[in-house]
Amino acid sequence: MITVSHLTKRYGAHLAVDDVSFEVARGDVLGFLGPNGAGKSTTLRILAGFLGPTGGKVTIAGHDVVTSSFEARRSIGYMPESVPLYPEMRVVEYLRFRADLKRVPRTRRRAYVDDAMRKAGVLDVAHRRIGHLSKGYRQRVGLADAIVARPPIVILDEPTAGLDPNQIRDTRALVRELGRDHTVVLSTHILGEVEACATRVLLIHQGKLVAEGPTDRIRSMRGSSAVEIVVRGDPSAAKTVLAGVDGIGDVSIAQTSDETTRLRMEIAKTLGLAARADATERCVAALVAAGFGVREVHADGGSLEDVFASLTRDEAAS
Amino acid sequence: MRAFWPIYKRELFAFFVTPLAWVLIVVFLLVQGMHFFLLVDHFALELDVSSDETPLSAFFGNTVLFYVVLFVLVPPMTMRLFAEERRSGTIESLMTAPVSSAAVVLAKYAAVLTTYVAMWLPTVLYLVILGRTGALDRHQAASAYLGVLLVGAGYLSLGLCASALTRSQFLAMIWTALVLLILFTLGVGEFVTREGTLMHDVCAHVSVWGHMNDFASGIVDSRWLVFYGTMVLLPLYVATRAVDAWRWG
Repeated sequence: MITVSHLTKRYGAHLAVDDVSFEVARGDVLGFLGPNGAGKSTTLRILAGFLGPTGGKVTIAGHDVVTSSFEARRSIGYMPESVPLYPEMRVVEYLRFRADLKRVPRTRRRAYVDDAMRKAGVLDVAHRRIGHLSKGYRQRVGLADAIVARPPIVILDEPTAGLDPNQIRDTRALVRELGRDHTVVLSTHILGEVEACATRVLLIHQGKLVAEGPTDRIRSMRGSSAVEIVVRGDPSAAKTVLAGVDGIGDVSIAQTSDETTRLRMEIAKTLGLAARADATERCVAALVAAGFGVREVHADGGSLEDVFASLTRDEAAS
Repeated sequence: MRAFWPIYKRELFAFFVTPLAWVLIVVFLLVQGMHFFLLVDHFALELDVSSDETPLSAFFGNTVLFYVVLFVLVPPMTMRLFAEERRSGTIESLMTAPVSSAAVVLAKYAAVLTTYVAMWLPTVLYLVILGRTGALDRHQAASAYLGVLLVGAGYLSLGLCASALTRSQFLAMIWTALVLLILFTLGVGEFVTREGTLMHDVCAHVSVWGHMNDFASGIVDSRWLVFYGTMVLLPLYVATRAVDAWRWG
């Protein structure tokens, strides 16, 4: 559905997107993952036809975004990052306007708008002014706008930015549902988000494509890098026990109370993913063997940076 | 061009839903009403009736009030057209829909021109009043309104162009007011430069005062048609190119 080859975007001297190539197949939910400023928004804006590429070629459903921009734009529904809407319009007015603009025939407009409002969950605010809506509802109006003309491709730039945890969960569920009828491209800087929604992941860093692959592969790269254990017993003795465990780096006492101690230990970065999990097990086993009571174990999730690090290492190795 | 109608309708809606629109219209009609009253009052006391001047010709551009109203009215009408969409980011949703830059520019222009015409429409009543109490030359009135339409069309086009060239509404307003004032001042130069010089000819050619006096006395000069036609088309073209250019920024 989407083919990007050697895409480059330059703002003056700044190279925002640097020779990026990828493809998105029909039915994919592609997660565009990268830290802020990695070039995610710029890439999506080029896909959506808002910005022109400096170099390279992008086709949307077979239409080149530069030479047949019109047809390319007809195939997409795009939600920009800040979800810009006209505050003076009512939700249903706005969506009718957008459907009209996207050439939904008059006879089908009402049905399309109703359908989009139902899917996005904005039926209950259909007659409220957009300017009076909460951030969560505005985000959903943006989603309704993206799908109102039933485009084959939906592009969402940071769809969960600024939402509360409940709204994030709802939005992710909605994106998964969209994946059934549409090819979806979404961007995020939160690792958990692509795991929750996407079937494939693209990692972008400083304008360059770092890696791509199915979500499972990215998930498996998420080894914990630090472990926190709450033990009952003598703090310094526990620290000595842990420091002796194979594969454990720095151990520190994070917090002590009357009875228990919270210890934090770094797992050596040189360990592979499976070996990191083993190290956690060895820590617990060693503590129990030494007669300490283990109350809690927390594994710190691998950060985006960790995944980047392991991915780039993988790429270099292969 | 299919995007023209939805955008045109939305622009009209967006304008009339804001208090700014109604404030502008009320101020406009108050000033015009006063203007008309003062003129009729003045002519009623005039003993010398042989003068060429009539309330009609005076109302349409023979007093400075006509121009002051335009200079105050046009910049706030056009300032938000593009600047506001760029500031709030809605331009991104707008331009990623299947619309052409030309359709966007023309729809916005048509909407603001419609508003302008709607503002002048109630003043036709003044002419009805004049017609009831004395002789009214219908052709002269039509020609005067043609002048009002042409001058407004040119000014609004300049204002739209300024709005497309800056991200700030305030700057768009200042730029528009500045350009209109410079044009007006240049026109006034007609009365201070020596006749026969190039400067005098240039000033006379761009003088909105001169143009309006012609139109208000029933003279439709093709030079002014071309002048205002250019003043409409050129800024619209520049604005369309500016909208295209954002894509490559």
